[in-house]
Amino acid sequence: MEIRLHGRGGQGGVTCAKILAAVYARLGKSVQTFGDYAGERSGAPVRAYTRVSDEPITNRNKVYQPDHLLVLDLSLLGDDTVAGLAPGGTLLLNSPEGPEAFAAKFGAFRVATVDATGIARKHRIGTRSVVIVNTTIAGAFVKALGIGLGVLEETYRGLGLSSNFQAAKDAYESVRVAEAGSPAGTRRAVGAGGAMEGARPAPPPATAKEVVPLQEHVEGPTTGLRTGNWRTQTPRYVENLAPCNAWCPAGNDVVGFVQALGRDGEIAASAVLGRSTPFGGVCGRVCPAPCMEGCNRREYDGSVNIRGIERWIADKAPVARLAAAAVKPKRVAVVGGGPAGLAAAWTLALEGHRVAVLEGEPELGGVLRTGIPTYRLPREVLDREVEAILALGVEARCGQFLDRESVARLAADYDAVVLATGLQKLQSLDVPGARLAGVEQGIHFLHRVNMRGKAVLSGHVVVLGGGNTAMDCARSALRCGAARVTVVYRRTRAEMPAIPEEIEEAGHEGVEFVFQAAPIGFEGDGRVSAVEVAEVEMGPPDASGRRRPVVTDRKRRIECDWVLMALGQSADLGLLPAGWTIRDGRCFGDGRPLNVWAAGDLATGDGTVTHAIGSGRRAAGLALRELGEAVEVFSRPDRARAVPATDIRLDHFARADAARDITVPPAVRLSGFAEVSAGIEGRTEAHRCFSCGHCTSCDTCLVYCPEGIIRRTKGGYDVDYSYCKGCGICVTECPRKAIEMSAS
Amino acid sequence: MTQELISANHAAAVAAVLAGRANRKARGFGGGAYPITPQTECIEYLCKQTIEKGHIIRVESEHSAMAACMGFSLAGARAFTASSSNGLAYMTENVFAAAFYRLPIVMMAVNRTLGPPWNIWVDHGDTLALRDAGWIHLYCEDNQEVLDSILLGYRLAEDRRVLLPVLVCQDAFVLSHTMMMTEVPPQERVDAFLPPLDLPHRVTDRPRTVGGLDFPHESEVHRRQQQEAMQASFAVFEECREAFRAAFGRETPEAIVPYRLDDADVVLVSMGTTASTVKAAVDEARLRGVRAGGLRIRLFRPFPEEAIVRALAGKKRVGILDRDLCPGLGGILWAEMRALAGRDAVVQNYMVGLGGGDIRPIHVRQILDDLLAREKSGAPVFKEVGA
Amino acid sequence: MNEPALGGMAQTALDRAEPILRCGNTNCGGCGMSVALQMLGRAVGDRKVQIVIPACCAIVTAGPFPFSAYGAPVVSSTFASAAALASGMAHVARLNGEPTRVLCWAGDGGTFDIGMATVSAAAERNEDVLYVCYDNEIYGNTGGQRSGATPIGAVTSTTPLGKDVEKKDVIGILAAHRVPYLATVSLAHPDDLMRKMRFALDERGFRFLHILAPCPTGWKSEPADGIELVRLAVRSGLYPVVEVFNGRRTVINVKPEMSRPALEKYVSLQGRFKEKGADWDAAWEVILRNWKDLEARVGV
Repeated sequence: MEIRLHGRGGQGGVTCAKILAAVYARLGKSVQTFGDYAGERSGAPVRAYTRVSDEPITNRNKVYQPDHLLVLDLSLLGDDTVAGLAPGGTLLLNSPEGPEAFAAKFGAFRVATVDATGIARKHRIGTRSVVIVNTTIAGAFVKALGIGLGVLEETYRGLGLSSNFQAAKDAYESVRVAEAGSPAGTRRAVGAGGAMEGARPAPPPATAKEVVPLQEHVEGPTTGLRTGNWRTQTPRYVENLAPCNAWCPAGNDVVGFVQALGRDGEIAASAVLGRSTPFGGVCGRVCPAPCMEGCNRREYDGSVNIRGIERWIADKAPVARLAAAAVKPKRVAVVGGGPAGLAAAWTLALEGHRVAVLEGEPELGGVLRTGIPTYRLPREVLDREVEAILALGVEARCGQFLDRESVARLAADYDAVVLATGLQKLQSLDVPGARLAGVEQGIHFLHRVNMRGKAVLSGHVVVLGGGNTAMDCARSALRCGAARVTVVYRRTRAEMPAIPEEIEEAGHEGVEFVFQAAPIGFEGDGRVSAVEVAEVEMGPPDASGRRRPVVTDRKRRIECDWVLMALGQSADLGLLPAGWTIRDGRCFGDGRPLNVWAAGDLATGDGTVTHAIGSGRRAAGLALRELGEAVEVFSRPDRARAVPATDIRLDHFARADAARDITVPPAVRLSGFAEVSAGIEGRTEAHRCFSCGHCTSCDTCLVYCPEGIIRRTKGGYDVDYSYCKGCGICVTECPRKAIEMSAS
Repeated sequence: MTQELISANHAAAVAAVLAGRANRKARGFGGGAYPITPQTECIEYLCKQTIEKGHIIRVESEHSAMAACMGFSLAGARAFTASSSNGLAYMTENVFAAAFYRLPIVMMAVNRTLGPPWNIWVDHGDTLALRDAGWIHLYCEDNQEVLDSILLGYRLAEDRRVLLPVLVCQDAFVLSHTMMMTEVPPQERVDAFLPPLDLPHRVTDRPRTVGGLDFPHESEVHRRQQQEAMQASFAVFEECREAFRAAFGRETPEAIVPYRLDDADVVLVSMGTTASTVKAAVDEARLRGVRAGGLRIRLFRPFPEEAIVRALAGKKRVGILDRDLCPGLGGILWAEMRALAGRDAVVQNYMVGLGGGDIRPIHVRQILDDLLAREKSGAPVFKEVGA
Repeated sequence: MNEPALGGMAQTALDRAEPILRCGNTNCGGCGMSVALQMLGRAVGDRKVQIVIPACCAIVTAGPFPFSAYGAPVVSSTFASAAALASGMAHVARLNGEPTRVLCWAGDGGTFDIGMATVSAAAERNEDVLYVCYDNEIYGNTGGQRSGATPIGAVTSTTPLGKDVEKKDVIGILAAHRVPYLATVSLAHPDDLMRKMRFALDERGFRFLHILAPCPTGWKSEPADGIELVRLAVRSGLYPVVEVFNGRRTVINVKPEMSRPALEKYVSLQGRFKEKGADWDAAWEVILRNWKDLEARVGV
């Protein structure tokens, strides 16, 4: 009996042939086994042979007409491979597919298959790119030839391969065999009858080709060796989710506009930014920038100053997008002219639909206008961006707050309604003295400041809360005459939800902080004169992951002249007509879906401009889709899919500090409400971006490819797969995870 | 043409310089120089010469000397080196390589006993160990032949039908350090005899790998081509002798050199300077009425089998004098040609002058007497000559 | 890294029109020597070169005659004689006034071991040859036996329990020859690599470049990790990236972090150190000692 084996350098074909010989030797047969030796390299096709006989073996030739054939790598399977194989002989293939998949082509043989690569990989035999399958597939062969598992185990023990026996056993147990299509005949039967001789593919011809004399001058062409078929895994260029994009609630292509800025400048960057938001200038100033939390540079040398970059782009190259013409424009009413409503209106108007925004305040902008002080967001920036939205044909109806009835009427009058009324309900304290004069909601204070131009305070102002409203109150108070401002927050500084830079700037301006203190009452004779606070201890984490504050009975007094409460807000659902509910951003009336969608804080309660924008875009998209428009509905990407920092090759990046915003000195800025920050200087910060998951054509893959077969194409690279050996250096070295390996 | 009293080492060096200068209009000349007794004089002379477009690298070993020659030759220059004995043994790997690469390098070898123990005197075993290396071997009898063989060797080696390296062998001290009047041709005659070397497969700036892989089939063909070149070189050798005569106005010996052979019954075959002593013994035997003759093998590779068969046809007794030993077999010359004599002839092997012993005519006469007394061929005989 | 690697010169007019190592070669996937040859091609640019390669993986990869996986003229020498053969070729180029640069491209076996005498002699003669040693720390072509470049502790087929002596200091050896230019080259620092290769190509006299070339087959490492292994070797201080002018002026080109975790990662990514188990303290001591020696040479 003669067995021939086809494998690739590194798979262990010669050892496999030896195992088979050892099995038969154990059964008392004469055996012989050998391999082809040449310039065998990892991945190159190699052959090995095993001969078994009851008589002493004297044949020293290679095997040209095998009784059985093993193919360790399916890419080697072809007519040349099976040449000479006896009809009815076993053709054992390393394949996850069943033998029936090969019946059409190799029906003359007894085809057996086993997923040796999968099994060997599971048992971690070899490396990722070169899986050593020899000890595995031998188990399958032994089973296919009807030899007992016991012999196999003894053989492995004898060869010192016991550690690989489990893989062999898995193969033994999982090999599948399909008998030959024609009646199975042995070689001897063929020889006797000769009937099947015709089915035997011809062995390779023994002719010789011309040989060039060594003393002749020839220019050597490269070898005809297509090394691509050595490959067990294939690198492919991919676009992976950058964490900044994953983290951005507005759905901005953050990595896109940052890279565009670095590569092509402000106008190109603005075009990218303008695809997803009408509020680049606003968000470039007031966004809490979750993108920067997600930024993979954060732990390395500090997040890219994305907010600063966004501001730079929006200020340097304000985008003026044009509305498309809708085939059949829809009429949509948007209730609420804050960021969510405006983002929804913008999305709808860009598609060519007719939008009316209904706003209770005299001007559009919502909390951007009523809540955020101008030293953070100058009104000309807000006006510029609101005007750009209106320029798309959006109709603004301001100055009238709606009631339930009018909302219900809108739903009847319009094709769709988007409700984006924000958080109108303010959290207050139910403690003694809460109604004393001088105790008021911070939001009301800010409204006065922002809408009436000025509010007057004096003395020591205590601000309760730790969010952005608290910071706005504290810093505005300093600008409105307060002699001293103290922020009282029940948790620690690290847990303050306010934007870190805002806290920092507040500190610079002289705001004082009292942490781990909860207000339990106000004192005063008609007018507040002190806040009584209880010391708070930090308990175990709550559902949000933050440690739960535990109020103790240790108390103290903080004397003060004013108290501004910034303790949080919630949605006021009182606007919804009777029987309406909101579920997943849509309104339902008595359980039936209505043509009304909720957006922004009303729907989500996330409380940031960026969330509002994303929510508004989504509500608009959902509404349009419901109305039969072919639009892409924005939905927040899955953060878990974002490229983690561990996939970034940090060695390719020199450490560099982030560009910080330039600010006006505290002494100057406190004299009024002029903008504190001047943003970043120049666009070089964009060059710090890792461009996670997004190819920047940095040539790293190209210069490290050992084969030199990665070539530039327009906007990317091509791999010549006919030569790619699948080593994976391009994948490992890619600084930004823009190439991935997949099984060949 | 000038006559100079010089040693054969000196003659070899003079010839190498002439041949080297002759290539000044082409890609020049070079070689590796490494000392070993008794060849040292040759490379010393070489290193003192100024050769236009030539450079001798003072290498650190014979192995590198041949490697340097291969470098010169592959780049299209004419190349030369010289060595001896253990130096050749150390060089051997590259000796083979030069032939496989079909490079027309000429090397002068002074035949010396291989050691240890150390023995600096003549023995042909060192170059005969290279008989399978793919080189053309010429064994010389006198100083003039050494000089001439080097010039002729370049013309032969560089012929496109041949392109094989040439080894010019001479006996240690007996030639290497013995001064005799030697005709030194003027440069212009050498220039005419040796046209500029244009190596077809020299390394250029274009992509080509010399010496990558040969699979069995490539090797079987390349080996056959070596043999075909060797076979072709017989005719080219004759053409070169003809050209040599035309260029320098004198003969250079044939592949085999008979001495009073035509009517001889008994023949003594030898190589190198032993042939001179054989001549004296033949003359002396003829005086005694013994119809003796001599045959010198000048061209050992390719082996001039047909010529030898013709020369030995009808000879009754053939004595083959080997100044070498293949332990376990006998003399190498004997082993190669014992079947070439007539079927009925007595063919007897004599190892004589191993290790550089001075083979005098009396020793040859004793051999002749032994040969004449034999009824049939016997085992190889060791003829000790003492000091 | 937002600037393209090597300033974006690859595959432009600044690059060599044809790579020195073509596709269709038989080197293993992920071969460090292959990467080095691709880099060499870029450094060579439009210079004319002739390359001498002794018996080693680099010549086998050329493929069967008359095919050539090299896009440049290549001559194979016998194992020990690359530098000698190249000397001859370099002289012919010089004698004929040709600008051709003659290179040797040899492994560690052909350099540290069998070819050492030849290298030393060519260095002493100051031959106009650029000698590049791609050091994979093993006889790779014969299937992985120890060489004088194999590091202590590494398992090879002839040191089944791990090599018990240290690697030769080939830089020290060549520096002692006072060659005009001598440098170690890190594949993980392509700009430094390119500068050195170009400088070495243009300099006259004997130049020597040492390239740590990972051999995934011999090192029992993932082919994909080759460059990272070099990077770790540099970061840990195991592989100093230096250049030496005239055997005297020594410059440290990449200041290592001297990171012990990098050394541990370097070792853990390879199977060849598994047998013996790493003697971290000893390995670390050797690195520190070598750096002390190096800094003494630099005059730090």
